[in-house]
Amino acid sequence: MNTIAASPSRAQFARSGFGLSELFRREPFFAGTASLMVIAMAPTLFAMAVDPRQFQGIDIWEKPLKFQVALAVYLGTLALFAGWLPKGMTGRLTYRIFSGVVCAAVIAEMVWIGGAAANGIGSHFNVADPVMGALYGLMGVLAVTLTSASLVYGIAFLRDRNSALDPAFRLSLGLGLVLTFVMTLVTAGYMSSAAGHWVGGNASDAEAIALMGWARDGGDLRVAHFFSTHALHFIPAAGFIAASTLKPDAAKATVWTASIAYAAFTAFTFLQAIAGRPFLSFL
Amino acid sequence: MDPDSLFQTANTMVLPGWLALLASPFIGKWADRIAGLAIPVLLSIAYTGLVFAFWSGAQGGFDSLVNVERLFQSREIVLAGWIHYLAFDLFVGAWVVRTARAEKIPFLLVVPCLPLTFLFGPAGFLAFQAVRFIHANMPSTAQKGEAA
Repeated sequence: MNTIAASPSRAQFARSGFGLSELFRREPFFAGTASLMVIAMAPTLFAMAVDPRQFQGIDIWEKPLKFQVALAVYLGTLALFAGWLPKGMTGRLTYRIFSGVVCAAVIAEMVWIGGAAANGIGSHFNVADPVMGALYGLMGVLAVTLTSASLVYGIAFLRDRNSALDPAFRLSLGLGLVLTFVMTLVTAGYMSSAAGHWVGGNASDAEAIALMGWARDGGDLRVAHFFSTHALHFIPAAGFIAASTLKPDAAKATVWTASIAYAAFTAFTFLQAIAGRPFLSFL
Repeated sequence: MDPDSLFQTANTMVLPGWLALLASPFIGKWADRIAGLAIPVLLSIAYTGLVFAFWSGAQGGFDSLVNVERLFQSREIVLAGWIHYLAFDLFVGAWVVRTARAEKIPFLLVVPCLPLTFLFGPAGFLAFQAVRFIHANMPSTAQKGEAA
């Protein structure tokens, strides 16, 4: 029976004592940089507690904290996936250079966002000052660089005919990762070309929905960015469940359906924001 | 949290560390974990958070005494500076205890160095280096070294 023996079966997670050391074994650069993000949360939280300054209606340190969480989750996920890449891929020098560049881009983004917060100024959309304006452009390039890791991973999974992974799970990894890159490029790219992430409504985070901080009184382009970037979680999660419960062909069909539905949903949140309508404003 | 209560908290926080160092002959490993790692890490988080939050608002710099004085016109930066003392003095205290144990320096000779490091960091460090030098050159120690 074609079980997902080589896939992340629950037994395998349990057997390997799946944890930080396994992530470091799979992708040391990504695991290391993810750890750095997590450790940086401690002083950021402390700064949040002692710093009275606000930015656009919320604590000035909320944004750095959100990015630390998001980048740690992103790199941690890629480190997890790295163990299922084609054999030998992570050992190649070109891969290691690429991985190092991605980590450098992540760290540079974090320094930029944290540095702007420390100085009480905006990071994204801050073009008032010539230096910050130039940095914003550079950071856009770095953001594409760090997101390109999901494209590289996605293509590697889709092309890996010798993979020992369950075919449906491998497909879900590939589609989720490629969609992450493509949709993030579209949604974040559109957002950065706009004057800000709000469409209509008040330019303030004070009245935003809980936890995520999205606008209640107008469109918010960050919603679609969020769902775009998390395709690499939702679709492989669907693929994992499909591969564990369905026959191979049905599992593959389910992965395709889930991917299309997910992309359609993300497109809906994108168009909704462009139209100036809020997402889940009751939260 | 205001700077004054943070100051009190930080001051109180190092005391268990110094007590652990004084009790280190009995709780060696834990003394090192508490005084050499846990408390300095917590203080370092507070220090870094304070610098994140208040450095950009402070005047002055490190390049002249006048500028350092200007820096310390910010109460939060003074607090950060004080936490720096607390953290690093305790860390050095833990290093003193560790080094003394590794070099088999009697703990009684280390004891005076610890309060000195607590109150006047570098003076305690200097005192321990003196103890270390003298101990290493004692005929009894030198003989033991040859025998070993």
